[in-house]
Amino acid sequence: MQPLYLALALFLLLNLGAGMWRVLRGPTAADRMLAAQLFGTTAVAILLLLAQATANAALRDIALVFALLATMTAVAFVRRAWPNREANHESK
Amino acid sequence: MTLLTWIFDSLLGLSLLWLAWRALACPNLFKAIVLFVAFGLLMALAWVRLAAPDVALAEAAIGAGLTGALLMAALAKLHPTEAHNDFAVPPEKNVTKVWSWQWLPAITILLVTTGLGYVVLSLPPYATGLSTEVAANLEISGASNPVTAVLLNFRGYDTLLEIVVLLLALLGVWSLNSADLDHKAAPGIVLDTLARLLTPIFILVAAYLLWVGAHAPGGAFQAGAVLGAAGVLLLLAGWRPRTGLMALPLRLVLVIGPAIFVIVAMLTLLIAGQMLEYPPTQAGALILILETAATVSIGVTLAALFLGGDPRKNNRNKNHT
Repeated sequence: MQPLYLALALFLLLNLGAGMWRVLRGPTAADRMLAAQLFGTTAVAILLLLAQATANAALRDIALVFALLATMTAVAFVRRAWPNREANHESK
Repeated sequence: MTLLTWIFDSLLGLSLLWLAWRALACPNLFKAIVLFVAFGLLMALAWVRLAAPDVALAEAAIGAGLTGALLMAALAKLHPTEAHNDFAVPPEKNVTKVWSWQWLPAITILLVTTGLGYVVLSLPPYATGLSTEVAANLEISGASNPVTAVLLNFRGYDTLLEIVVLLLALLGVWSLNSADLDHKAAPGIVLDTLARLLTPIFILVAAYLLWVGAHAPGGAFQAGAVLGAAGVLLLLAGWRPRTGLMALPLRLVLVIGPAIFVIVAMLTLLIAGQMLEYPPTQAGALILILETAATVSIGVTLAALFLGGDPRKNNRNKNHT
């Protein structure tokens, strides 16, 4: 089973490369942010696969922290970086 | 299998270098932040591959999570008007680069890199370092996780200073700015519900990381970072603590970690004659007390850093006007 897990982890890492294209091209900030969120999800999956492949349970804790804190980046983006549409409408 | 790990590792290493370069060279600050967050994610994976799950956990909590939110808030403060142009359409301006002065840092970095490369290459191919000594003394340290044993027992002094560094950073932020303590407009039901659902989970995970640190990767800094993330989430959802809590109670919570550390250091100095040398029978309990206090302080310090200013100053200004 171990080679299968590692092969899947490698496949997911390659997927990150595809996501990188979206980060670099954009065109809007939301595209970039969502690509970063995809990175977070993929990293969680890679960590879970590595935890299984190397029989290291501590990696699951790292995946847990990743999954929790990825939410925070998204919330920070929406609240702080993304322009507030409603406010724009009111000013117009 | 070895071929697979080899491909995985080299791909990871190359992506890290490439991401670091793109994050540094990118003229669009928002793009740079996203690249930095991605860098943090891959860096944590690299630490996992280097068999350092403790560092990976810290990188996951601080590098990929909190720093992203902090940088994003800083960007929003940097240019509130310019940001709009940046977000709506991709401008792709041609930034004219000034190359004339850039050779100076380039040479410095080249020298440092050469020095580091020399040091790495001159290392013996196989060295145990101090790991055998740590393993030999692990039983009397009060923790079965060697990293916790080193951080809280053998090198407790370092950890004490690290916690003080965090406090100093907050004092720096406080001396520069005053916090905005007004309640924000209701952020909408989705974010509100999310904050209500996630905050207890954050606190639970922080407690878990603190507890698990005694025998597996985890500990005060990681738990504190998760606790701080809960605070940041609440602040982002528009929650502001009551002004009554911002004066003395906040300060007490901020210093409780360093204070208990200093008290324990002084007591051990008086009793054992050596700073932070715990009696082996009570070492486990002492480490747990120190870590719990440190977790609370670190968490609140990080959330206060995100608030980005002295909350009491704002109060005083309000009273005057």
